Amino acid sequence: MHIEDGILSPQACAAWYGVTAVFIIPGIREIKRRVADNLSYKPFLAMAGVAVFVISAMHLPVPVSGSCSHPVGTPLAAIVVGPFATVVISTIVLFFQAILLGHGGITTIGANTFSMGIVGAFAGYFCWKLIRAVKGPLWLAAGVAGFIGDVATYLTSSFELALSLHGHVPLLQQWLIFFLGYGPTQLPLAIAEAVFTAAVLRVMVNRRPDLLPGVITNSKAKREAAK
Amino acid sequence: MKNNALQPNKAVKPNSEVSWFDPFTRTMLITMFVLLFAIFASAKYMDAHNMTGVGTDDTVNQMAAVVSHQQPHPFINLPGDAQVGAFSVANFFVGMIVGHNWQKLFPEPKPEE
Repeated sequence: MHIEDGILSPQACAAWYGVTAVFIIPGIREIKRRVADNLSYKPFLAMAGVAVFVISAMHLPVPVSGSCSHPVGTPLAAIVVGPFATVVISTIVLFFQAILLGHGGITTIGANTFSMGIVGAFAGYFCWKLIRAVKGPLWLAAGVAGFIGDVATYLTSSFELALSLHGHVPLLQQWLIFFLGYGPTQLPLAIAEAVFTAAVLRVMVNRRPDLLPGVITNSKAKREAAK
Repeated sequence: MKNNALQPNKAVKPNSEVSWFDPFTRTMLITMFVLLFAIFASAKYMDAHNMTGVGTDDTVNQMAAVVSHQQPHPFINLPGDAQVGAFSVANFFVGMIVGHNWQKLFPEPKPEE
């Protein structure tokens, strides 16, 4: 999902920067509010930030398709630190990946943040909230969040490319063509991301449910998580 | 003059509190070796079947370059092993930061005195 410089038009890059900015402002507010409410929020934010940095640069080989790709880490970050805060950390992560690792692009930070930090984080977060709202188990909610967040990220990247470059080809067809470049490699990795998200959240909740007030909301759920 | 760095720490009882492979280290090492083995096995399979193992980001960026009739021109590009070096340095410090904050948030429970 790291679109490089020189592929999207300057107008498209500016538009994606604008969309991302709309989410960054409430993100900064969310961080300020939660830092004031919860002393443990800063270490969580630091961990989530660097974890997204490394997870979204961790290329893993997938023998089914014969290529490599990486998970995104933003669904887990959205559950732990909140979806708007995840937009902020994703922007910072993608900026440093672009300037320090040559991974992604500088003009495409807006587009890449939109796919990974906004759609990936919010899709995962909504799945998490939905399944928890119907009393689904923690591992299932986290796993589905990881899977959907991952796939949604790559669907969005394909859409961004198709929207800019489809020309005379129907948008849907071009979108599918680009997604087929990602899909066969990404689907196994989305399953791995689901397992990873569920396992990490489970460990955190088992150790210190009191540190995750937005994750475990009541005493009954705390007992369930401790089982 | 004595080199204090070589003296045992009196706060830690010898052979009682510090083990070579505590449960955390053991779990991390096992997880790391399982992942590395999976990567090695996948790479071996791909090599045996003449698969390139190229990243999907590069594949799709090249597809987009063909459609748009213009080559991507990264402003910053790390050639060859420089990229491996940059990733290694970044991941080392990321590990340190995650570990440091993990200790703050999830410390090992202390045994009762």
